[in-house]
Amino acid sequence: MKNNYLTGGPHVLEADGIRVLFDGRPVLTDIYLRVQTGQIVGLLGRNGSGKSTLLQTIFGARPVPDASVRVNGRRAVPAFQTPGLLNYLPQAAALPASLPLGRAARLLQVDAEAATANFPELRPQLAGFLHELSGGSARLLQALLLLHAPTAFSLLDEPFSGVMPLHVEALAREMQALKVRKGLVITDHRYEAVLAVSDVVYLLHQGRLRQLAADPWPELRDYGYVPA
Amino acid sequence: MAVWGARLRGIWLFYRGVAPALLLISAALLLVMQLPVLVQLPGVREGRVSGVPPGLVLAKLLSGLAVWYLANELRPQQYWFYYNLGLSRAWLWGGVAVLDGSLFMAAAEIIARLWP
Repeated sequence: MKNNYLTGGPHVLEADGIRVLFDGRPVLTDIYLRVQTGQIVGLLGRNGSGKSTLLQTIFGARPVPDASVRVNGRRAVPAFQTPGLLNYLPQAAALPASLPLGRAARLLQVDAEAATANFPELRPQLAGFLHELSGGSARLLQALLLLHAPTAFSLLDEPFSGVMPLHVEALAREMQALKVRKGLVITDHRYEAVLAVSDVVYLLHQGRLRQLAADPWPELRDYGYVPA
Repeated sequence: MAVWGARLRGIWLFYRGVAPALLLISAALLLVMQLPVLVQLPGVREGRVSGVPPGLVLAKLLSGLAVWYLANELRPQQYWFYYNLGLSRAWLWGGVAVLDGSLFMAAAEIIARLWP
């Protein structure tokens, strides 16, 4: 099976028609999200607003009737089964506990040395297992491996969670560098880090996705996401 | 090619995760199948049909369904890594069914021939 998404481009990923109900309550309605190669899309929203559900639906892990995910105008559902198209960093562990990190990286076709080039302190950990790392280091390493994986897009759910400030900045720089060949969608409650790195910002509010203006602060205050 | 290589290794890795439970169940079922022969109950050999008894296959299928259900309930987060390899749950459990089913049938056939 050939990976067509590592060459050519830029690629455009679009998701729309996503409608999710939990116990009859609409969590996501009439969603449209677009990301393209060279772009970092920030996704903000209150706890329980459906950010993870949206990313998982785009990824294809959560089947939703009528959901449409397209790449360059062609339908790709479930998206994760299309080789080289996209990967997803969940809030839970993204790597098996029983697999040494270096082997997990090889299975994901990631050059672990290159992925940790700017984080030399993580290198010795590659021979060990995920559970042997601190929470922040584990999060950072998983985000790096998925960022460096040969996919056209990465969906990162709370990549900065538990990561120390110095590494948050370094990870943001890593994202900026990698967006040359990738499109990224990130969601995290460290909104300042998300806003600093994002080219486009969406706010998920009451089930609807709103693209925010170039200066997102007034709307973030109006919708009650940040203090007035 | 590299994609499929990674996916096949992913299926093998997933199987290794559930194999202890499945192999333990297989061993227990095969032991129960052979118990009458092992304890040499009178008249048992006359009544036995050759090959693998259908009841044994049914028991293995039902126990496999139980393992599938428990794995989904107890470790739903385990799938993320495999999704990132492009493997759906259907591929993972299909691989498990082929690997474990083949192993079980081969073991049952060998035992039935060794102790007819």
